[in-house]
Amino acid sequence: MAVVEIKDLHKRFGSVNAVKGLSFEVEAGRVTGFLGPNGAGKSTTLRALLGLVRPSAGTATFGGRRYEELDRPSAHVGAVLEDAAFHPGRTARNHLRVLAATGEHPAGRVDEVLSIVGIADAADRRVKGYSMGMRQRLAIAAALLGDPQVLILDEPTNGLDPPGISWMRDLLRHQAASGRAVLVSSHLLAEVAQSVDDVVVISNGELRGRGTLDQVLGGDDGPATEVKVQDPERLASALEGRGHHVERTADGLLVLGATPEQVGGIAAEEQVVVLGLAPRARSLEAAFFALTGDGR
Amino acid sequence: MSALLRAELLKLRTTRTFVTLVAAALVLSLLVVVLTTLLTDDLSEDDLRSLFTADFSSLFILLLGVMGMAGEWRHRTITSTVLAAPNRLALLATKTLSYAVAGAVLSLVVTVAIMAVGTLIQSAGGETTIGIADLADVLWRNLAVAALLGAFGVCIGGLVRNQVAAMIGLLVFAFALEPAIMGVAPDVGRFGPTSGAPNGVLAVESFGGEDFLAPGIALLVMAAWVGVAFAAAAALLQRRDLV
Ligand SMILES: Nc1ncnc2c1ncn2[C@@H]1O[C@H](COP(=O)(O)OP(=O)(O)OP(=O)(O)O)[C@@H](O)[C@H]1O
Ligand SMILES: [Mg+2]
Repeated sequence: MAVVEIKDLHKRFGSVNAVKGLSFEVEAGRVTGFLGPNGAGKSTTLRALLGLVRPSAGTATFGGRRYEELDRPSAHVGAVLEDAAFHPGRTARNHLRVLAATGEHPAGRVDEVLSIVGIADAADRRVKGYSMGMRQRLAIAAALLGDPQVLILDEPTNGLDPPGISWMRDLLRHQAASGRAVLVSSHLLAEVAQSVDDVVVISNGELRGRGTLDQVLGGDDGPATEVKVQDPERLASALEGRGHHVERTADGLLVLGATPEQVGGIAAEEQVVVLGLAPRARSLEAAFFALTGDGR
Repeated sequence: MSALLRAELLKLRTTRTFVTLVAAALVLSLLVVVLTTLLTDDLSEDDLRSLFTADFSSLFILLLGVMGMAGEWRHRTITSTVLAAPNRLALLATKTLSYAVAGAVLSLVVTVAIMAVGTLIQSAGGETTIGIADLADVLWRNLAVAALLGAFGVCIGGLVRNQVAAMIGLLVFAFALEPAIMGVAPDVGRFGPTSGAPNGVLAVESFGGEDFLAPGIALLVMAAWVGVAFAAAAALLQRRDLV
């Protein structure tokens, strides 16, 4: 059963058509990556889901209810939006205390989330002096305050260093493993590829693909093999003679549509000395670019 | 609603702004009262009543209200505030109420302080003092004005979301525009939100012959200003996309 449901969502800002009839669902117990290039409409969609932006048409609901209709919304849904903002003169702890008071969460929860995100030591400093990564962690602490069943994060790795990014991945995986639904946006596929179960790919306000990562970005370009040999030209013409497409690279040959076993077999028949043989990792990025029509 | 109110009051207490402005209002008001009572020998009971209405809390709470609401845009905290409390009408209502409460508290502190100090100085010099009933009468008027101006400030902050523009605009309005209107057209000026009607509530002796509204009516006029500004701010907040 879908925890989050976006149905035929449209949003216009004046003359800008930011979201054009988007529909998708997010399931519990899974991390769903919400992908698309800059300006695709990811933030607009998430903000519409959170009741911050009024949809021009369509609906965005949690179990059939709009965000505003949830009672104690922060106990159901936690959100981290782009460039999280805080009153610079308030300490992190007081910021969370205010949110805990609003959402009627137990006061003790403030210390719990502070230590979950690892800023407990800095909790009594004013946010003014926080680094970007610390602010991002505070925003995540705020989202976790109500121990919500749904987490929505807009580019949450902004400002995090590599250990921070890896910490974030683990956090999201952990949240999903404990049965929560996680929807996380990114314009960088590589950043989420390792941590998502499902992806929703949009471009220009429209859906371009949805399903598991493999279903959506698996593509159908078949296997490919990189091979390094002593006499590349001889092997290349042999491969081409058997109908394979061969690209000459700096290191050797890239054989499209053939597995390493096939290429190795042909090399043996031709008696060329093989120096290296490996399947080429399919380029997710290339498939992503193809899907989003972003050829940059 | 009570959770929201608690949260708003907590917000007020957790930045330095409120404490600073309370201190400033206290110091300024005390300064005026101490200097006046020390330097003037023949203060009448009416003079003392006027003096005790001259607490600075109403001006400060007006600005504080503006900062409380417009500051949500200035610091871009409006998004997280609305996420925590998505019913925007309830949010604005609570904020308005909390600054009314803060205004009353601020005015209570300042008024009691200036009354105590003023009365002490007067009686030490063997001069006129006013009775507890008169003091209580001044006190409720001060509290009512501060509460309504705190609420008004929040609504203005919701309408003019640029904090600096809203503060400067209000100061110009309160100190230049309204007094000017009062001078040219007192029949219009006495309905003004930042000095005309408040002076009516405080029953300030009229300058130059023009009369302020009777306190009860002035109170209603102030409440009406708050109502209108609230309705406009609420309509704007309801429609606005928070991006
Ligand atoms: N308030 C606004 N007024 C006008 N246009 C807007 C507004 N907000 C967003 N847009 C436009 O809507 C489109 C989608 O923007 P959105 O911020 O949703 O993209 P995004 O996918 O989040 O991009 P990014 O990866 O850069 O964060 C863009 O063309 C943007 O210019
Ligand atoms: Mg975005």
